[in-house]
Amino acid sequence: MLLRVLVRSGVFLASLIVSSVLVFWFLAGLPGDPARVALGVNATEEAVAALREEFGLNRPLVTQYVDWVGGMLAGDPGRSYVSKAQIGPQLADRLQVTLWLVGTATVIAVLIALPAGTLMAVRHGRLSGLLLAAMSQVGVAVPAFLAGILLVALFAVRLGWLPSGGWTPPVEDPLMFLQQLALPALALGLVQGAVLSRYVRSAVIDVLREDYLRTARAKGLTPFRALRRHGLRNAMVPVVTVLGLQLSTLLVGAVVVERVFVIPGVGNLLLSAVADRDLLLVQAVVMVLVVAVLVVTFVVDLLYAVIDPRLRRG
Amino acid sequence: MAGAALVGLVVVVALVSFFWTPYAPMRVDSPSRLLGFSAEHWLGTDKFGRDATSMIMVGARTTLFVGLIAVSVAALIGVPLGVLAAMGPSWLGQLVMRASDLVLAFPALLLAIMFGAVYGASTLTAMIAIGIATIPSFARVARAGALQVMRTEYVLAARVSGRSRFAIAGRHVLPNISSLVIVQASVSFAIAVLAEAALSFLGLGTPPRTPSWGRMLQESQELLFVAPRLAVVPGVAIAIAVLGFNLLGDGLRDRYDPKLEQAR
Amino acid sequence: MDSDLIGSTRMVAGALAAAALLGLAACSAGSSTSPPEGTPPPSGEGSDEALVLGLVAEPASLDFTTEDGAAIPQALLVNLYEGLVKLDQDGEIVPALSTEWDVSDDGRTYTFELVDNAEFTSGEPMTATDVVFSIERVQTDWTTSLAAAMDVVESVEADSPTRVVVTLSAPSNDWLYRMTTRIGAIFSEAGVDDLASTPIGTGPYQLDAWNRGDSIVLTRNDDYWGDAPHFAEVTLRYFDDPTALNSALLSGGIDVITTVQAPEALPQFDGNDDLQIIEGTTNGEVVLSFNHRSAPFQDIRVRQAIRLAIDHQSLIDTCWAGRGELIGSMVPPTDPWYEDLTALVPHDPNLAAQLLGEAEQTDLTLRLRVPTLPYAESCGQVVASQLEDVGITVALDTLEFPAQWLQQVFTDHDYDMSIVAHVEPRDVPAVFGNPEYYPGYDNAEVQDLLAEADAGTPDEQVTIMQEVARVLSEDAASDWLFLLPNLIVADADITGLPENGIGEAFDLTLLARG
Repeated sequence: MLLRVLVRSGVFLASLIVSSVLVFWFLAGLPGDPARVALGVNATEEAVAALREEFGLNRPLVTQYVDWVGGMLAGDPGRSYVSKAQIGPQLADRLQVTLWLVGTATVIAVLIALPAGTLMAVRHGRLSGLLLAAMSQVGVAVPAFLAGILLVALFAVRLGWLPSGGWTPPVEDPLMFLQQLALPALALGLVQGAVLSRYVRSAVIDVLREDYLRTARAKGLTPFRALRRHGLRNAMVPVVTVLGLQLSTLLVGAVVVERVFVIPGVGNLLLSAVADRDLLLVQAVVMVLVVAVLVVTFVVDLLYAVIDPRLRRG
Repeated sequence: MAGAALVGLVVVVALVSFFWTPYAPMRVDSPSRLLGFSAEHWLGTDKFGRDATSMIMVGARTTLFVGLIAVSVAALIGVPLGVLAAMGPSWLGQLVMRASDLVLAFPALLLAIMFGAVYGASTLTAMIAIGIATIPSFARVARAGALQVMRTEYVLAARVSGRSRFAIAGRHVLPNISSLVIVQASVSFAIAVLAEAALSFLGLGTPPRTPSWGRMLQESQELLFVAPRLAVVPGVAIAIAVLGFNLLGDGLRDRYDPKLEQAR
Repeated sequence: MDSDLIGSTRMVAGALAAAALLGLAACSAGSSTSPPEGTPPPSGEGSDEALVLGLVAEPASLDFTTEDGAAIPQALLVNLYEGLVKLDQDGEIVPALSTEWDVSDDGRTYTFELVDNAEFTSGEPMTATDVVFSIERVQTDWTTSLAAAMDVVESVEADSPTRVVVTLSAPSNDWLYRMTTRIGAIFSEAGVDDLASTPIGTGPYQLDAWNRGDSIVLTRNDDYWGDAPHFAEVTLRYFDDPTALNSALLSGGIDVITTVQAPEALPQFDGNDDLQIIEGTTNGEVVLSFNHRSAPFQDIRVRQAIRLAIDHQSLIDTCWAGRGELIGSMVPPTDPWYEDLTALVPHDPNLAAQLLGEAEQTDLTLRLRVPTLPYAESCGQVVASQLEDVGITVALDTLEFPAQWLQQVFTDHDYDMSIVAHVEPRDVPAVFGNPEYYPGYDNAEVQDLLAEADAGTPDEQVTIMQEVARVLSEDAASDWLFLLPNLIVADADITGLPENGIGEAFDLTLLARG
């Protein structure tokens, strides 16, 4: 077990290093002189040259890479070429926002998926199960941003119940914060919930087929009761894994949803940073996202070993 | 199967569009702007007077094309990698799996943004980005399948009798995992369609004068209250395509699964 | 033993949470950021109310001395930074930090009398030395090319703490006008350390917070030397997405849309008694530029053919919902030398085809490269279609704005035609008087006329500029698709919103509610 953890950690670290190199080398090849774009349409040649000097853009790439990584490790991604502000605090703020969005969406997704998926599995083949399955299929087929647009059209404009976007920090105005969070989290969560529910369904179906459940049912328990007593723990295994794998998809969905609802999260930051050719900021954001996914995968791997006793032995 | 029917519908529409569409899809026709459903324009027109039916038909081409290229790229690279990982030395297997996990950390959208930024966003960058992001799924599936096949009696016999790895791969592994790969292809196609729609919505996919469902969605936003059908039409098209591929994948999986059980 | 974690318990919890959320939502249904109760206090003191404006194109930094773009001056000029002079709603130059000014007979010496009680938000009083500092700084430290407008200043001196004398190297009609724009902003000698995030000015508002990616919050400067503005707090919220901007007004997230970017959706505001729609003009000429360095455009017949092929009214109707004015040259109706020159170039596709035939360019292929801005992408498609009707093949592609467009069109000149709105006021000299600028238009007659107009009397300036506009049109220096409209939608009870967009600033001091 310990060896396994060590190996996994080693792999994790290696992945971090390799991805940082990939991100840096790729983005360093961006066309569009970042200094010129940072200064705008009417900038003079001297100003552009001066900015390049100031940010060390004329140094060899390897030096720039090493500096960057060192900075990141120390928690200082540097200063933006465009806004001259420290990237670190800005990134932290944005990250918080996206975490709220993604976290709430995940909760909604799980709250939808577990009961729905279980029901679909238990009523497998019956009308209610089929209906739910059909709905979940449609849910999967609808992109998160389409769901977002439709939710805005209905709840924000038609009914006026909820705002169409924007963001207030929870400490400032908890009520407004919840209202603004509702629709975007719902847009993301509904779609994710539909996806997740199908995994739950198949996991539960598999578990229902297992021998010990058949024994339980032979004893006279309904499928539901049998599940509750014995099977759900095992059903959780693929769900946890999928949640981890789905993180990438959630982040992608968050980028578009943030655009539709005008939420100042990392998704929007990334899109603006690319448009502004804010090279360092793009690097920092991409790196953070990649690290997030790697970390979650790493944690899921470890959790997997904990949840599934069969694996632990192996 | 419902899935096959839906996918078939999309494919037929796309094929027909090569020969005939009610109107030239990108033809600006100002007097005919924002018309509703009618006999002349079955699905109405947009703010430029372009016929929605024609745009949907040609857009089907784009959608299928992007999906096809992306999935092909992913399969052509992912499957051999997966088989290699299963059949080769274990360190290679580990390396391939770790590398594919790494790629998983770069969602398709992220890659597409990066590619688009460097090379200028276009259909091509979208396809390649989605393709690269899908490689891990194929590698995984191929490896899992190959491992299973390796344990079968046929293969064990072949190995004992000294057959080369390549021969075994060719004669036993690939044919037996083909069904798994096809199922994965169907599922990945659905994901590719969604990804392309999102990219076009963000303006990072097909260029303006190429009809695309995602771009139609983006252009519909401005007119959501004046003409909601402009969002519904491409939205339904996307949903149909994705639904179709998902159902197809499910159906294929149900069909082939028992076969695999037997192979054991 | 009992794995009862999920299922019933969570479902109930989930349902409760959902119900609570909906309940909260319903309770505050329709509530907007309504200002607190209170009778408006006597004028000069302002109210306690807050206002939220919706805008596009968030500035990346607050420092317009090194950054271009209209967004920064739009927010900060007149509101946070003041100049010696400013523009009123009719486009007239009126006093600001300067109470009166005198021009010498030879037009080269300007003497400004300053207000004596203006203070910077840092607490330092504003005196003539700050004016001298600011003007000299434009020449030495500013890195934007708009700063070139200050090059005509030969010397500036503080005669007394409240008097400044500026000497120009040659008389210039344009200079005083430019002093109402960003280059005329007065900075504190001690307050320029962190212009990118800490602006310090003398204006009626000061910076309270800048939430990057979301909003800029300005609060009333209680030590302001002039009349207090009505709103105690103004939040400027920036939107990337035009539709989100519209939705925000409807759901109460903002009180004013300062510039509608999705005019197709305006009908949703019609007939709503709680809202007002303002439609006026701006300085934003949407220019279909020709790359004069590129061979086909060196033939005037090709340029004229392109202009004739475009049905401008139909274009506006299709790509900008019919909002906006047709202009025949680079001059908006709010400039003193405006003339309606649209009749010079009617819509005549037959004549266009004929001209192309005469120029032996019947098989022409041109690259139309547009930036990713709403009007450009939209109208680009119509332009391409209309040009194709006269036999020109158009390769349309979009370049990400600002990065790609700046690099490929603006710097590398790698294009044939492009579409972009030039929003700076009085930008004829900058765009068509400078052969180095991206269109590369080099007409000696125009350059001479521009110099004459600047050096002459104000009346001469008007006459000569009219001639310049005419020459540009007859020479088909470019095509002017239309003038961007000033489209504002706001709560019905807000007053003081500008009918036309005239200067660089969005003047918050004129706004009030009720």
